[in-house]
Amino acid sequence: MDQNRQGARASYVALAIFFAVWVLLPSAVRRLNREAFAEFQAPALHLVGKSRDLATFWEKKSRSTEEMAAAGRDLARINAALEIKLNALEDVRRENIRLREITRYNVPVEYMSVVARVATRDSSSWWQRIVIRKGRNDGIRPGAPVVFGNTVVGRVTAVHLTTSEVDLVTSPGFRCTAYLEGDDQNHIVLVNGVAANSLGTAKARVSVIPRDYSMPAGQPARVFTTGMGGVFPSRLMLGYLDGGTYATQVGNFKESLLIPSRDLYNLQEVSVLVPLHQNPGEALMQGDQFQ
Amino acid sequence: MGWAWLILVLATYPWLLGADLASDALASSSLVFFITGTCLIAPCRRLRRWQAVLFAACLGFLFEARRPIPDGIVAFALVAVAIFLSSNRQHLRTTPGMLRAAAAINIIACLVWFVAAAYAAPVAGADLAWQLILQLLIAGVVGTVGLIPIALTQNAAMDRFGVPPAPETP
Repeated sequence: MDQNRQGARASYVALAIFFAVWVLLPSAVRRLNREAFAEFQAPALHLVGKSRDLATFWEKKSRSTEEMAAAGRDLARINAALEIKLNALEDVRRENIRLREITRYNVPVEYMSVVARVATRDSSSWWQRIVIRKGRNDGIRPGAPVVFGNTVVGRVTAVHLTTSEVDLVTSPGFRCTAYLEGDDQNHIVLVNGVAANSLGTAKARVSVIPRDYSMPAGQPARVFTTGMGGVFPSRLMLGYLDGGTYATQVGNFKESLLIPSRDLYNLQEVSVLVPLHQNPGEALMQGDQFQ
Repeated sequence: MGWAWLILVLATYPWLLGADLASDALASSSLVFFITGTCLIAPCRRLRRWQAVLFAACLGFLFEARRPIPDGIVAFALVAVAIFLSSNRQHLRTTPGMLRAAAAINIIACLVWFVAAAYAAPVAGADLAWQLILQLLIAGVVGTVGLIPIALTQNAAMDRFGVPPAPETP
């Protein structure tokens, strides 16, 4: 029994020494260790994602002929409506080209779009994340914005070989600047995720709203990215202001909550906008200790 | 058998993946389905101390790998727990004792990651007591309910690879 106690004591001492060594180790070693364990789990996450796709495929394949015919009919109607929209957009495109020729405006082709399926979602009070099935092998880099259509989903925080982790708009680690709809002077406001403290929908906080800002009547105010900082392209939608605004403690500005414009936990597929050239934000991300 | 701890990690991993999938389902409520602490109980009854330590470290690093928790905090906490459990095996002799240990260890490990994540978080959280209590409650319930199936799997793996029954001294 004494031998057991002595052994335990020696083990605790060894643990303390190992912990001290671990703290003193260069961060590259710790990052390598984290990367190794993340890569170990990557194949299983791929398998889970693909199994879900397969289940969806067989679920759809098992539909009856009548259901398929009804779905086909609905699609034909939608197609007809979209064709009308397409013609309208074609007119807009021609107008756009004409205006560009007038102003000789060069379209900035700064991003490469990589479409990725969502493997798993994971959230707690301290993180709101999704794991996508594309990684370093597909050209994804840390800091790249993640969107669905024209809606911001989040930002890539960690990239592994075949998977990447995305911090959602509502995650405490997420920050970006934005414009508010209805603000003619285009004041810049700050959007950052908040630690989730309820079972309700996760939200982000919009701060530094000017005191004289008033929301558009009859509809929730939309929040758009500014394009400053080089991470997110401009005029992407972040979400809506939740209800009213309230004054901060200091009283110089107002704050509000942001509701994401899509249900971030029901996304199946997202697009990662990988900047063709490394931006300053990306360089900062690479220096982060905690990914 | 020297490599039993590694084989046990592989045998336990499906349960951890299952917990990740359950966390996926709970994602909209910001709760994590945490079973890492429970996975320690059965191996600590039978593995030698150094094997239990390596097993605990692997469990901790697997949990931390895809989450913004300071490196090594959960792993080292689990290692300390593994040393304690493998030195006090008398608490794990009976099924009720194991169930109590599973609930307690899972709650402690859950508290460790919550506090560590709060420390690493870029913003301060206000009024998170309710969320923490809920998370700890889930960890306790899941730890207790999940112990038997997880321990059965782990015991089967250890039997298959010839790990002897729990020795009196590590």
